[in-house]
Amino acid sequence: MTAQNITMQEKDMSRVHARQRVMKIAVQVGLYAFLGIMALIVIFPFYFMLISSVKSMDEYRQTVQTLWPRDIILHNYVDAFKTANLGTLFLNTMYVGVVSTILSLVITVLSAFAFARLEFKGRDAMFAALLATMMIPGELFTITNYATISAFEWKNTYTVLIVPFLVSVFYIYLLRQNFLQIPNELYLAAKVDGTSDLKYLWKVMIPLSLPTLISITILKMMGAWNSYVWPRLVANDEAHRMITNGLRNAFTDSTGDVNIPVQMAAVALVSTPLFLVFIFLRKYIMKGVSRSGIKG
Amino acid sequence: MKVELKNLTKIFPSRSKKAGEEVVAVNDFTFTIPDGKLIGLLGPSGCGKSTTLYMISGLQKPSGGQIFFGEEDVTDLSAEHRGVGLVFQNYALYPHMTVKQNIMFPLQNLKGADKLPKEEMIERAHQAAKLVQIDNLMDRKPSELSGGQQQRVAIARALVKMPKVLLLDEPLSNLDARLRLQTREEIRRIQKETGITTIFVTHDQEEAMSISDMIVVMKLGVVQQIGKPQEVYDDPINLFVAKFLGTPPINVFNGTVKGGKLYIGDAAVLDVPGVEDQDVTVGIRPEGFIPDKKGALVCNLSNIEVMGRDVSVVSTHEASLSPAIRSIIDADDMPAPGATVSYSLKPHKVFLFGREDEKRIYFEVK
Amino acid sequence: MVESKHPWKAWIYLAPAIVLLLIFTVWPIVNTLRMAFLENYNIMAATVPGVTFNVGLGNFQQVIQYGGFLTCLGNTMLICFLTVPISTFLALIIAVCLNAIRPLQRMLQTIFFLPYVTNSIAIGMVFAAMFNMIGNNFGGEGELLITAGIINNIIGIFGVEPINWINVGSSYAANVFVMVVYIVWNALPFKILILLGGLQSVNKQYYDAAKVDGTSRVRTFWRITVPLLSPMIAYVVITGFIGGFKEYSSIVGIFGEDMGPTGDPRRLNTMVGFIYDALANHQGRASAAALILFGIIFVVTMINLWVSKKKTHY
Repeated sequence: MTAQNITMQEKDMSRVHARQRVMKIAVQVGLYAFLGIMALIVIFPFYFMLISSVKSMDEYRQTVQTLWPRDIILHNYVDAFKTANLGTLFLNTMYVGVVSTILSLVITVLSAFAFARLEFKGRDAMFAALLATMMIPGELFTITNYATISAFEWKNTYTVLIVPFLVSVFYIYLLRQNFLQIPNELYLAAKVDGTSDLKYLWKVMIPLSLPTLISITILKMMGAWNSYVWPRLVANDEAHRMITNGLRNAFTDSTGDVNIPVQMAAVALVSTPLFLVFIFLRKYIMKGVSRSGIKG
Repeated sequence: MKVELKNLTKIFPSRSKKAGEEVVAVNDFTFTIPDGKLIGLLGPSGCGKSTTLYMISGLQKPSGGQIFFGEEDVTDLSAEHRGVGLVFQNYALYPHMTVKQNIMFPLQNLKGADKLPKEEMIERAHQAAKLVQIDNLMDRKPSELSGGQQQRVAIARALVKMPKVLLLDEPLSNLDARLRLQTREEIRRIQKETGITTIFVTHDQEEAMSISDMIVVMKLGVVQQIGKPQEVYDDPINLFVAKFLGTPPINVFNGTVKGGKLYIGDAAVLDVPGVEDQDVTVGIRPEGFIPDKKGALVCNLSNIEVMGRDVSVVSTHEASLSPAIRSIIDADDMPAPGATVSYSLKPHKVFLFGREDEKRIYFEVK
Repeated sequence: MVESKHPWKAWIYLAPAIVLLLIFTVWPIVNTLRMAFLENYNIMAATVPGVTFNVGLGNFQQVIQYGGFLTCLGNTMLICFLTVPISTFLALIIAVCLNAIRPLQRMLQTIFFLPYVTNSIAIGMVFAAMFNMIGNNFGGEGELLITAGIINNIIGIFGVEPINWINVGSSYAANVFVMVVYIVWNALPFKILILLGGLQSVNKQYYDAAKVDGTSRVRTFWRITVPLLSPMIAYVVITGFIGGFKEYSSIVGIFGEDMGPTGDPRRLNTMVGFIYDALANHQGRASAAALILFGIIFVVTMINLWVSKKKTHY
């Protein structure tokens, strides 16, 4: 092999220099332009929701819509709150969300601890069986569960919104993996010192896996906020209605000539808590999501 | 291809937003690497040697100074136009491609007039593989190769496009001790056969000394000394270079020069004509000690280790700056066991350095 | 692990989970299989003493022969095979671009994640409003168009005539377009998150090596980025298909529970929609459809795994 130069001729060096610089700038400009346009497309629906939510009906119904409202009519929000009865819906959803999150955390922690730290017959087989159920689409369970809760006479109660989904195999799996990373020596040391299992769980395991627990809490709360299908089937009465169902019911006709500004105001009100949670707990959400791949 | 570095400087901005906390990774490096030589860039970690290598490759842009390949200024040229071959510390072999695909990859990038027909690419890949003796592994994936074999593939991939300059970043650091010896001979052989100007970076002085035509010793971004390995070893310019080169390392003492004589402790151990009276730091190479019953340097003997042809004598001295003094002497001159051992010194193995500035103080060797 | 002196203790910890799982997970699996193979099974009828059901494949036959089912299956397939490739490719491009910039990277990353933290019904209503026309524009004489909707306003800038996207008389293609746009918009954040995470964990030296070798950007993308990311790409494709087969609430968000534009309900119904429609009165049929859905998801997942095993070589 000779050290002859084949990639680059010595001539037209300066041209290469100039072209190289132009290319580099062009690529950067292209990147930002592309990302900027995509970002605009992504946030446009949010922007549209906000500007429409403060428009008057007349302004909204202009042949060509304005991109900035002429008059800002905040009263739309009051109307939205009243029309959709958002106050009750908020309270219902919060109640279901908080209760089911707390119960779900307790059950998840206990089960994950048993699978991660205790020795008992059939543990691994049972864990494998649990994981296998994750492959089955949830809709398959819904049919029977609908019959079951009808038989229990749980229809139109809070119980029906909380109990059937308390156990998530996925959360148990997530937390068990986290527990397994905690050195077993800590557990042995606690045993030698005569610490009870529950105290060890409370004092050592839970503090050490707090980030996972926070991720689970957020996902569970978001789940309550976004749940739609199950509540519609089993608890769509005035007293127990959840926020998403309430929103959809209050504006049954999504097309045609309805009061879209008020509708958009309602949508904005329902979306706000999610955004607030996202802003403050972004890290935990993104971490939880990248491991789960499930929405809510 | 001759490579010339002129006042090469690289400053990294500080990570925090406070001004004035920038890091000078390479400071004012000027050096001409002659065509067809193997150069070792040597220094402890963080000395700027890898940064220098990356600036030569074009992956990092210098903050100041210029780089010439031959007569041509390549400072602003980006990596892909420089025609260099680079071997990474962890090889960076594409895990999804076979050995053959990895080696051919750079050739497939050629465009326009440089484009090669497929047969020639395969031919060239085979030549390169043969050169590094992996032509029997062409259809394997990197994960199926040993560390040494991966290293060879990486070198073949760098050589296949016939680079003007071959750059190796810590090429041996991921290999075990036995392979390291073998591979460094291999690198030397390949470099001789191809005649490509080669620059490699290492923190292992033995590695650099054993195969380089020239070594560059760096510390905190500043070049300390450049020269042939033996010259730098025999004639270090300061205490850092003296300490960095040589195994076992140089022995360092506190000393004083008074009236043309060097004192270690109270004993006058050597005539150092022409040196002003002052406190100095004394470096004595392990092979600079001669056991001599009448020798002026008397040390407390701790241990004698027989290593076949040579003997390593371990002793202590109150003026020594390291806990143990290690000397290498011929087995025939082995000192008698006892509480102490006395040495006279070989003057050309003794170096004096300023106590404060650590710069070499020269004296006349008779 | 510790050999516990009281093995029953573990069962106490597990008791709440096991009880709930037995009732709401294990029993439904058994019961769904049972109901699916009992012809014309119906819970109300089952409570009447003396009523029995024949064991057989009648429910499956019914499902397949039922006119609406093929529409549902077709819509679901269309959603999967349009939205998964589009959203994966777009997400990949966006992730690669995001990974190539420094300033504003975090801000843009946050913006691209925003659609994830939304309520798919609520934002579906926003999409409906964006595509909505007010007035009655059947294209005839003297008909009144009050506002064409913001999307029609925007495409009007480029000289395109207003399109009836989702209102009465809209075409199936227009409906599908809106549906695909919304589902892709909704699916992007998760895919970008995963792919960007993958990109950031790729050793930068591969790119340095490619650069030194003069590899063009396009070639680097196809020959290095895509193969190195193939495990993550396989992951987002598989989860994308599973999500696509279970699509339901996005369509409710846009079109309402009628699953279609006014005047043509059920036009955009999906597999899951089909199950819910049958759920209250035809449990046998619903169970058979759920098993079919499970079968399809299982097969498609296996095919995906098989392909990605062949394509992800390391």
